Amino acid sequence: MSLSRLARRNNLLSYFGIHVLTFKPRSIADHTRTGYSLLGSLCGCQPNSVSSALGLLPSCSYSTWLHKIHFQIAPTSISSQKSGPILAQRYYASRASANDTQASSQEQKSRKMLIYLTALVFAMVGGSYAAVPLYRRFCQATGYGGTVQRRESVEDKIARHSKDGTVTTREIAVQFNADVADGMPWKFTPTQREVRVKPGESALAFYTAENRSSTPITGVSTYNVTPMKAAVYFNKIQCFCFEEQRLLPGEQIDMPVFFYIDPEFETDPRMEGINNIILSYTFFKVAEE
Amino acid sequence: MSAGGAFGGNRGLRPVPPEKGVFPLDHMHQCDLEKKDYLHCLKSSGHQSENCRNFCKKYLECRMEKNLMARQDMSELGFGKETETNRKTSK
Repeated sequence: MSLSRLARRNNLLSYFGIHVLTFKPRSIADHTRTGYSLLGSLCGCQPNSVSSALGLLPSCSYSTWLHKIHFQIAPTSISSQKSGPILAQRYYASRASANDTQASSQEQKSRKMLIYLTALVFAMVGGSYAAVPLYRRFCQATGYGGTVQRRESVEDKIARHSKDGTVTTREIAVQFNADVADGMPWKFTPTQREVRVKPGESALAFYTAENRSSTPITGVSTYNVTPMKAAVYFNKIQCFCFEEQRLLPGEQIDMPVFFYIDPEFETDPRMEGINNIILSYTFFKVAEE
Repeated sequence: MSAGGAFGGNRGLRPVPPEKGVFPLDHMHQCDLEKKDYLHCLKSSGHQSENCRNFCKKYLECRMEKNLMARQDMSELGFGKETETNRKTSK
C-alpha cells in the first residue's frame, strides 16, 4: 500500500519538474496574462493568435500538460496500484491469524492507556482547583513565605507576652508617610515624623487630614508597611483605614493609629538588619457631595 | 529560603484590617488636649514611645469616655505593669 503511494508521487514530481522549468513568466504582466489565459484554457482552450504571438504559448501548453498528467498518470497509477495491493495482500495474509489476537490485545492496551490518560487529565485539573486551599494550609503549617502562623488576636498576643515576661531590647524607628490620591483636595500629613518603639510595646501615632475644598468629601484609606517582610510583625490594633471617613469643608481632623510590633520580631533571623519600618497611608476619594 | 519568600511575597500580603476595627473620628475634638500632651511629650523625648506611655493611656481613656472607642481594660492593650517597670528603669 505504501509502495504504490510512493510510485505515484514520483511520477507526479517528474512531470511537475519538467514543466515548471519550461514555464517561466518574466514579469508581472506576464503573470496576469498567463493567469487569464489559464482560465480561458480551462474553459475551452482557445489560444488567441495575438497571445500566441506574444509568446504565451506556455499557457496553452499548461492546459495540455494538465491533460497529459491525467492521461499518463492513469496507466502508471494502475500499474503501481496492481503491485501495491498485491504486496499489501501478501503482507496481510501472512499475519492474518496473529492479527486478531494482537489487535484485541492492542485494543486493550490502547484502551487502558486512554483511561489512564483521561484520569491523569482530570487529576491535573482537580489538583489545580484544590491547590489554593492546600497551599494556604501548607503555608500556615510551615510559615513559608512569611505567612502568619498563628491566628492570634493582638490582645492574646499581648497577654501571652506579658505572661511570659518577654523583654525586648531592640529599638525600631517607625516612620510615617501620608499620600493622597490624584484629584483629592485633602491635605493629609503625619502629625509626627517618627516614633521610636520597642517590639512588644503598643504605640500611638497621629495623622492630620484637612478638607480644603468647599464640599463635603468622603474618603477611604489603605495602608502599606515597608519593608515587606517586617509587615508580618506589624499589627494594628485600631486605625482609621478601610472605612469611609467624611470630612466637612474646611474641617481638620486627627486620625490615630494604635499599633503593636510583635516581640517575635527580635528572634526572627530574617529581621536582622531592619531598624526602620515605614507605615504609609493613602487616601482615596469615594464620594463628593 | 529568602528567594522563596520573595516570590509572591508582596502579592501575597494583603493589608490586614485592624484588630479592633476603625477608630471613629473625633469630629468634636473632644480628646484634643490629651492628644496635644502626647505629641508634645513625644517631641521633647526624642520620639521615644515608652516615655510617653502615660499620655497615650490618658488619650485612650479619654476616647473610651467619650464613646469614641470600645471600653477595654488597659492591661489588655499593653498598658499595665509594664509602665510601672518602665518608670522605675527610667528613674
